[in-house]
Amino acid sequence: MVPVDDIRARARDLLQSGKVRAVLGYRRGTAGLLAEPAFMTTAEETAALVLDPTCVENLALYLVNEKKRMKHARQSDRRPLGIVAKGCDSRAITVLLQENHIRRDEVVVLGVSCEAGGMVDTRKLNKALRGKVATQVRFDSEGDINVSHLGGSTTLPARDVLANRCLECARAYPLDADFLFGEKVEERPYGPRFTAVAAFAETSREERSAFWDAHFERCIRCYACRAVCPMCYCDECVVDSTSFIVGPTTTADEKADRVRWINRSATRSENAMYHMVRAMHLAGRCTDCGECERVCPVNIPLRLLNTMLEREALEMFQYTPGLDAEQPSLISSFRDGDPNDFVR
Amino acid sequence: MNGNAYLPQLARIIHIKEEVPGARAIKTFRVEFMNGGGFDHEPGQCAMISVFGKGESMISIASAPTITDYKQFSIMRSGRVTTAIHDMKVGDVIGVRGPYGNRFPVGDWKGRNLVFIGGGCGLAPIWPVIQTAVANRSDFGRITVFYGGRTSRDIMYAAELEKLRGEADVYLSIDSPEDGWDGYCGFVPANVMDKPQNPHNAIAITCGPPIMIKFVINNLREMGFADEQIYTTIENKMKCGIGKCGRCNVGKDYVCVKGPVYSWAQLKSLPQEY
Amino acid sequence: MDAILQKESLGRWIAKLQERGEVYAPEFVEDAWEFTKVERGASVELDHTNTVLPAKGFVFPQREVLYRFRIENGKTPELTDTELSVKPMVVFGVRPCDGRATVRNDRVFTCGVSDPYYQARRDSVVFIGLACNAPPSPNCFCVAVGGSPCSEDGLDVLMTDLDGRYHVKALTDKGRDVVNAASDLFQAATAADRNEVSNAQVAALEYPQRSISAMDLVVAALKRNFESPLWDQLARTCIGCGACTYLCPTCHCFDINDEVTSKSPLTGARVRTWDNCQFPDFTMHSSGHNPREDTGARLRQRICHKLLYFVETHNMQQCTGCGRCITHCPVGIDIVRIANVMEEGVWQ
Repeated sequence: MVPVDDIRARARDLLQSGKVRAVLGYRRGTAGLLAEPAFMTTAEETAALVLDPTCVENLALYLVNEKKRMKHARQSDRRPLGIVAKGCDSRAITVLLQENHIRRDEVVVLGVSCEAGGMVDTRKLNKALRGKVATQVRFDSEGDINVSHLGGSTTLPARDVLANRCLECARAYPLDADFLFGEKVEERPYGPRFTAVAAFAETSREERSAFWDAHFERCIRCYACRAVCPMCYCDECVVDSTSFIVGPTTTADEKADRVRWINRSATRSENAMYHMVRAMHLAGRCTDCGECERVCPVNIPLRLLNTMLEREALEMFQYTPGLDAEQPSLISSFRDGDPNDFVR
Repeated sequence: MNGNAYLPQLARIIHIKEEVPGARAIKTFRVEFMNGGGFDHEPGQCAMISVFGKGESMISIASAPTITDYKQFSIMRSGRVTTAIHDMKVGDVIGVRGPYGNRFPVGDWKGRNLVFIGGGCGLAPIWPVIQTAVANRSDFGRITVFYGGRTSRDIMYAAELEKLRGEADVYLSIDSPEDGWDGYCGFVPANVMDKPQNPHNAIAITCGPPIMIKFVINNLREMGFADEQIYTTIENKMKCGIGKCGRCNVGKDYVCVKGPVYSWAQLKSLPQEY
Repeated sequence: MDAILQKESLGRWIAKLQERGEVYAPEFVEDAWEFTKVERGASVELDHTNTVLPAKGFVFPQREVLYRFRIENGKTPELTDTELSVKPMVVFGVRPCDGRATVRNDRVFTCGVSDPYYQARRDSVVFIGLACNAPPSPNCFCVAVGGSPCSEDGLDVLMTDLDGRYHVKALTDKGRDVVNAASDLFQAATAADRNEVSNAQVAALEYPQRSISAMDLVVAALKRNFESPLWDQLARTCIGCGACTYLCPTCHCFDINDEVTSKSPLTGARVRTWDNCQFPDFTMHSSGHNPREDTGARLRQRICHKLLYFVETHNMQQCTGCGRCITHCPVGIDIVRIANVMEEGVWQ
């Protein structure tokens, strides 16, 4: 178990010494079981910092958002931002570094290992509790999950309530952290990577097509999957008009000629286009934090799309995103020995 | 489908005048309704202009209400729909629905001095008010028109403004000096400050880019104009025109219904978010 | 008019109504409740918590074709209206918060200039409500915004689950019509039944819900705090997605766009779709000027519209306390907490 007091102490120290402008971590929310992201700017606030299996959010997202926010607010405080990062979150930070979206000296990473554990999936939890409302979850000494709820507590096997991404996680600790909390546990008691996508890939093309048709039909295009993804940092997104940047110098022709790849109507074909474009743009970049799938209000299993492409990247190019900020990114590099002509 | 507020009437373009050239060109379109359609409007009201296949834009009606055989719109080439309209020719057909919004209370201003202050494309929404005032010249006191563009080529309604000089004091401005320009050089709010207006028994009406309006209002207040003596329009982004789509919402008001015309006294009571 | 329906007769009532039109009811799909078209009445159980998507889509669908256009080269455009007669439709299992939302949506769409598309659907859809007399979901707060777990507002029929049978109360002509359509299935309600209903209602109100400590002061608090830095603090973790408003039973903002299906002749449709004040370009002018540039201003707009502006215009909150925006916010932004924070003026 990662001692949360150590993280609090480090966060407090960083803020007290003025080495960071804020520490981005987790604290108890009011909206339900899950912890909420919190920007802590004073040493006192760090007392509220928590770390438990409800700290699901990938805070790397806010490195992107803060950059935009600070540019907009013309903020002059250039001190780094402290950030609590799990293994998957830290891999996302590495991809942002690799893509030169942020500089390493802009962040102080308080890395936390999930060790043999992970984060809960509230849908699984709700099902397992059959309607009882969980108020707190923590790992017990056996590695199972102890759930307190109104009227008692229950212990459930971690495997039954952990998020799928955690069950398939191969590296549950940060590779690049300024401070590391917890042990680097290599052996995890769950399944191998790509379990879900491998099973899905066994189904027939017709079944897969029908599966995605049904899911894309249900998409409401709230764009929560895109908004929550640290890799979806583009100022403008090709698929929609909701983020089109217009400034005093944008010409009428630029506005008039802007390609609309899809209509705003949330119909199956338009939705499919949106999700496919997003998945393609994540190939070789997705670090499987699983946030897109978690936040989808209508429960579209988006992780299946992204891990499919991750599996391709691994099998075809022996490439895993987020391991090394110095490695060339998959889709912007090629090998001389590539069998395809088009890359030369 | 009688009474479907979303369904435009068809109108044919009968005349196009190029007001201002360049990347942000302004053209004035006269359109005549087809199939016996049409509607009456009051000064300050707007209409939704459709280019089928491109979309709709809310545009203020620039012709005087007394003109019934056509409506006139002065449109800046700015986005998808307005660019498409700029590419149209005489004889082409657009969709028009309206009229939308409230009006300038011109009838309440009888006997008053009127000060109009416009910038850029912002002369169009107040032009019907100027037309109404001039057509009933004896009803009003002194009429003054300030108007400015970035350069001399950006002055819209140039000929009409010259014609107006007999009826009103007209002060034109451009942002920076040019050969042959004998008007004021500088921004519109500065031009107004340069020729202080007596607030006594006066009404000021201003329209232009949001930043210009803000400075003009400051300057008018400094000259002693009361909040109730200052009128402007807030041309927010709009989609439906009938108080449903929520886009133009400022505080409790849907501007397409409660606006676009506001006195500064009314506008001050809304959140400063436009 | 009220009556008693044995639970085992629900399927037969639904089958009867299916002879006249489509029937929808909550179904557990992909680990979430959603309204789906009923294929077999006997499968409907009405033991659902609230649906993820509200019932507003039945009267204000996410996509609506306003009309179609066709322009042969050089010719006058032809516009074809959408046929506005909507098939009769009955929706079962609407929770009282969604019923109260209908009252609010009626204010928007039918006051002033009436919206013909909304009106046509509203005239044809029958909302059969189900009182919430079981413990509420964790983010329910209907009582805090003037509602009740057993509210009849905006519903055509209110059903109350009474252990083995339903008390069915018709509230409108449409409601009486759907009950009369299968009158042989219903028994007269007795004084004892009615007594049981009132007991259930009293019990329902006693379950604890989330609360807003001083709702009557929130209007003034929101006015007072319009320029407060609290908004930026509260919105600092907002990711700017549209989950909160798309799932809101009363959010009604929409966009209108042309969808072109062929270039020559030019054919296509003018279409309205749900839109969202949390998206950056919602208010952006063509010039690039944006009255609500950042997430703080946009969060303020959402909260103020629900709890201030609508109160000023219609004398009721536009929020019905369904809690969806809280439950489904990816980062835990919470309208109840925000209302309390604004009233108290501090946030820790």
